[in-house]
Amino acid sequence: MKKRSGWLAKILPPPSDNIVSGADLDKGYKSFRRGLAIILIVLVLVPLAIISIVSHYQYEQLLEQEELDQLILNLEQAQTTVEAFVSKLQSVIKFVARDDRYQELLDPKELEALFVRLQDEYPGFVDIEVIDSQGMQKAYFGPYQLEERNYTDQTWYKQVLLQGVYISNVFSGFRDVPHFVIAVSRKHPQEQGNWILRVTIDAKTLQDFVDTTSTSYADDMFLIDVNRTLQTQPQKYGTLGGRCILHDTEDSTKKSFLKSLAKRDTMVQRAPGMVIIQKSFEKHRVNHATADLENTPWRLVLIKEQYLHADTWVLFKIRLITIFLTCAIIAVFVIVEISLAITNHLRESDKKREQFLIEAEQPNKLVSIGRLAAGVAHEINNPLAIINQKTGLVQDFMEMSEDFAHKGAMAEALDGIQDSVERCKKITHRLLGFARQAEVKTEEIDINAIVRDVVDFLAKEASYNQIRIDFDLDQDLSKIFSDRGQLQQIFLNITNNAIDAIGSDGKITLSSRQVDEESIQVKISDDGPGMSLEIQQRIFDPFFTTKETGKGTGLGLSIVYGLIKKLGGTIKVESEIGEGTTFDITLPVTKSEQEEGT
Amino acid sequence: MKKIKLLIIDDEVEFAATLCQRLKLRGIDASDVHSGGEGLAVLTEESPEIVILDLKMPDMSGLDVLAEIKTYDPSIEVIMLTGHGSAGSGIEAMEKGALDYIMKPIDLKELLEKIELADEKRSKA
Repeated sequence: MKKRSGWLAKILPPPSDNIVSGADLDKGYKSFRRGLAIILIVLVLVPLAIISIVSHYQYEQLLEQEELDQLILNLEQAQTTVEAFVSKLQSVIKFVARDDRYQELLDPKELEALFVRLQDEYPGFVDIEVIDSQGMQKAYFGPYQLEERNYTDQTWYKQVLLQGVYISNVFSGFRDVPHFVIAVSRKHPQEQGNWILRVTIDAKTLQDFVDTTSTSYADDMFLIDVNRTLQTQPQKYGTLGGRCILHDTEDSTKKSFLKSLAKRDTMVQRAPGMVIIQKSFEKHRVNHATADLENTPWRLVLIKEQYLHADTWVLFKIRLITIFLTCAIIAVFVIVEISLAITNHLRESDKKREQFLIEAEQPNKLVSIGRLAAGVAHEINNPLAIINQKTGLVQDFMEMSEDFAHKGAMAEALDGIQDSVERCKKITHRLLGFARQAEVKTEEIDINAIVRDVVDFLAKEASYNQIRIDFDLDQDLSKIFSDRGQLQQIFLNITNNAIDAIGSDGKITLSSRQVDEESIQVKISDDGPGMSLEIQQRIFDPFFTTKETGKGTGLGLSIVYGLIKKLGGTIKVESEIGEGTTFDITLPVTKSEQEEGT
Repeated sequence: MKKIKLLIIDDEVEFAATLCQRLKLRGIDASDVHSGGEGLAVLTEESPEIVILDLKMPDMSGLDVLAEIKTYDPSIEVIMLTGHGSAGSGIEAMEKGALDYIMKPIDLKELLEKIELADEKRSKA
């Protein structure tokens, strides 16, 4: 397998690396699963988070832009409306003060009649006065006693002469009611200079108009003069005559909207005096927009709370977070499941591969160990033959000689040597038999009969140990072509092992059945103590034995394994601790050609 | 009863000598040599009736020695000694004219039976 690049291997170590024991392997799979899950989660959640954050800011910007556009539009509309209103007042007064009406208006009755007509239309008009070219008041109509005043020194008088029209700031003055003045100068009909018509208007007129307009455009709208003194009463942000309470608050964003306005030239050109500033007020963020009112001393102020942090925005955020969290939870859940599935799959296939390797290794192991065993057995066999003969010779001499001290004990010791030689002989012969490549003698065989023969052979030993042997043989089993002697050895070895495993008091079942036309199956089951997985994996290894020292050579099952392979069959073991063991042997009906060559 | 004349050919000196001695104790006129060539060389001199022949020797194979003996005198009965657990080589030797085979380490009783058998066969012939 190709080695994975370093960084990936670091995050995702292959589960079978650095394995010492089974527990490590389990840990390996666990950390593999964790690594896989983390990588997948990062892979899914990072783009999701980026998309969410980007759309959050995009939407915020969009809302901000939209809000700004709306505010500018509102400001322009309000500006136009208020300008139109003031201009209308001016026009009315200008119209009344036509040049030729000077004399007429000096007549108090005429003035009163005019004023009453005006008041019908504009109830906010408080009083009206006519001033001659010398600055002396010539006529007055109104609720106050203001006759015979000279305005020569007053600033407004100079301004009205200069500009033709004058609109004052709102002030209380001696009338003690907030009001403002509109004065119009006209050429004096007889004398040199101008006469002036001055109308005092209740500030309430302006206030009402601004208030009415305000509701449709902003949270608050009012007028200020050049000194930023409030000219109308704001609903929230200050009191008349004072300053707007936002006046002293720091601009929360240094970046004023002028910047963004500057980008859109048309807007700036259309409203040159327009300034929009973001401010914070009582935890609200407000947009503070101002624009000059043309031909008046006032500036219009529009205050609008930012709705960016209001309902729409909160709703959007909640929705975004909900979508994000839902996706994240689903993704995490699915990823965890997937990594679990992948890891399990991996574990399974690793296990299968391992098993396959063990199986593939078995015949090789048998061959090499068999060769070694044969070599050793052969080398040991000769000295063993010498020991056997020498001991025999000593025994011969002992038989021929007279009684001497310890003769009996010596004879016994020599018998002991011969017994041990006999045991060694069995082992070496078995080893040599294990390694031999005897030809398979094929004949037609009734497996059921062989199974019965083997059981007959072992019946006595089984009954000594209270072991019952049952048969479950398929009577229609087809005859197979195989080697009788080797089959006998196979069944004998396994059944013998079963008897040894049970010890005493148990049951062995031998069953046969037809798998298909090509093969038959023989199962030998016992209800003995069973084997652990570790033992199961090693039972076919040469010299592996669980029997007491001296009782087993550890060759029986490896011989069985070798014989079955040679006969073209397979053997499997299934065992459960406490449940018993089943050997499952499958044999071909006719010997396969591939096997005949060996 | 006349003594059976027997020759042991085995490269394993100790084994051959001891077996020889034990057979002598049992009234057999046995002698031993320790290679195939030596065995063939002493055939005329010793003129054995029965030869006990090891299958595996360094100088020449037991089967070759067997063939030589049988060419020299087909009436000499040969019992093969084999170290192999397999009967295969023993059977092969029997096909080539050996009377029987016996596996090492040998059981003397078994060998004596086979010697007796060989002797009977010779006297019948």
